[in-house]
Amino acid sequence: MIDKDEVSRLSVDVLSRLQGLVGDPYSYARAWKGRTGGKVMGFFCHYAPEEIIHAAGALPARITGENRVISESGAHLQSYCCSLARTGLDMALGGDLDFLDGTVFVHTCDTMQRLSDIWRLNAGYDVHLDVVLPGRLEGDSAWEYLCRELASFRERLGELVGPVDDGALRTSIALYNRNRALLADLYRLRRRDPGVLPSDKALMVVAASALMDKEEHNALLEELLGNIEARLSGAAPGGLPDRPQEEGVESRGQAEARPQAGEKVRLFGIGSVMDQWEFLAMVEDVGGTVIDDDFCTGHRYAGVMAPEYVDPIESIARRIWDGVPCPCKHVTTRDRAELLLERITGSGAEGVLFFQFKFCEPHAFDYPYVKKALDERGIPSLHLEIEQGSVSIPRLRTRVEALLETIRG
Amino acid sequence: MPPLFLSAIKAGCISDIITTIKQAPARSGSVTVAGVDIGSNTAKAVLLEDGDILGTSLVMTGHNSRIAGRRALDLALREAGLEESDINGMIATGYGRMSADFTDERVTEITCHARGAHSRQPEARTVIDLGGQDSKVIAIGETGKVIDFMMNDKCAAGTGRFLEVMAAALEVELDNLGEISLLSESPVSISSVCTVFAESEVVSRVAEGASKMDIVAGIHQAIASRIYAMTVRVPFKEKVIMTGGVARNVGVVRALEKRLETSLVVPEMPQHMGALGAAIIAGERAGA
Repeated sequence: MIDKDEVSRLSVDVLSRLQGLVGDPYSYARAWKGRTGGKVMGFFCHYAPEEIIHAAGALPARITGENRVISESGAHLQSYCCSLARTGLDMALGGDLDFLDGTVFVHTCDTMQRLSDIWRLNAGYDVHLDVVLPGRLEGDSAWEYLCRELASFRERLGELVGPVDDGALRTSIALYNRNRALLADLYRLRRRDPGVLPSDKALMVVAASALMDKEEHNALLEELLGNIEARLSGAAPGGLPDRPQEEGVESRGQAEARPQAGEKVRLFGIGSVMDQWEFLAMVEDVGGTVIDDDFCTGHRYAGVMAPEYVDPIESIARRIWDGVPCPCKHVTTRDRAELLLERITGSGAEGVLFFQFKFCEPHAFDYPYVKKALDERGIPSLHLEIEQGSVSIPRLRTRVEALLETIRG
Repeated sequence: MPPLFLSAIKAGCISDIITTIKQAPARSGSVTVAGVDIGSNTAKAVLLEDGDILGTSLVMTGHNSRIAGRRALDLALREAGLEESDINGMIATGYGRMSADFTDERVTEITCHARGAHSRQPEARTVIDLGGQDSKVIAIGETGKVIDFMMNDKCAAGTGRFLEVMAAALEVELDNLGEISLLSESPVSISSVCTVFAESEVVSRVAEGASKMDIVAGIHQAIASRIYAMTVRVPFKEKVIMTGGVARNVGVVRALEKRLETSLVVPEMPQHMGALGAAIIAGERAGA
């Protein structure tokens, strides 16, 4: 029988490891390369077919830019590009991503597509691959095109990085699915009791998944979740439901999703990359917690399961197709605002934090109609625009506090 | 006490001026409370007893917001003839609220301005607060509760600081900007609302020989456009009440009225609305 102190100590060990990794996000890939001699493939977007890269024996490592003052990328990108593109390119040109053997660009927004061209011509890595996804994730032709594009990526990667056979790909898909199931568990446990892990730590744990080997991340997650479950079952006899919920969507009014009196105010985060840990810690400090999210380094990254009993390419296409669409993708039959509203109400969130990069056009285009949908349901929200490298916490604090005051009344 | 009455009152350009500052809604029981608003430029305090204002103060914030808040509180206490021990509840608000170690209770200036403004004009549904470094547009409900708000982000356009820079560039006293602009018959166009670029533009206009009054009127129009852009992002409804130090500038008030096509309510002591709101909330908590 594990006692409570032991549980806390184990959790702290895992957390401090993941926290250290996220605080220095590119150190893992560099060390992994040194240790294994394997190839590292950078990517920017959660739609990247990581399973294929993994099956080729390479480490997929997400590039999320960083808080830095731009020096070299200013010569290539205008200041109206988002800080993710500008700081990412600046890192590449400054030699800070020298552990990369190549980069995979998924066509999402125009900035990313053009960044791919600039990157190919200037960054100087051996391998450069584009995955041009369909803009609309619906219809037979888009589905066929998506499968062909993924198959073509598999072929090109096979030639440039390493062969990808069906067996390896199926193993990778299962490994990634295991990671998704564990991440879904983390979200489920936090919905049950946000006190088990503050949102800054929880989102660090999720973000770390895209930075490190999945097998290793799975092991850390299993340990962390085991500790949390042990603590929760000690506090709440009867334990947890046997099966994890489907990705993010729960029926309304479910007991575990209702905020309890005295709890922090539950907020739902919407945005792309969330790497502002100081901001999230501040939200916790002032009495809020991001209980669920649609960040592409958060719940959108955890995504949906890839079916394992179909053709592996079809499997990866399916998880891209079926997930909550990012603002760069369109599905006319599945309204993004409605999908978000289902998740917001399911999570018991009382308010929404739009935390978005300045000059991120896809999110900016989506904002008015998502905001309108929230207003119609009487869900308070706050729109924050930030740029990596110039985030002023005190100014954001006033706004977050005002949102919480609005919710508390 | 610094002069608090609006030059706007003299100019008679504001359609609805609330002058009954001492008619705050009465509260049950005899409770004395304080609101201290430590802004970027000035610190203000308001003392209420059962909803009636007993004392107010306004001091420059300077380099130490904690000391400024303390001084504002002490001055208001002195005016009211009270001791700190007489206070049953106190709330700090404003940019420097975290430094106010003489109280544990803090509420944001957004909520406080909404409550203060609501107490002056219960029919108000939109608050425009232009302070030293922040500009805010706040949508409020029937009870003064914040429904939504917009706040400037790292941009001094429309704030007191912006006007200070412009006044210095034009060698005009800050307090005179409003009345000077009302004399203009053809305001110049100021295309930038960025403080740095606008200052360069103002210097260019001076070099071109434009009059001070036309330049100042142009500056006020630029501010009005900037604030208008914020109002379209919240559920904007009449009546509109204006708070914060910039509300003392009749030129900005008039430019905003023209741009928003509505009259603005400017309360007496617009700079004190945050401190008043803080005191009202302190009263509710102390009486609860």
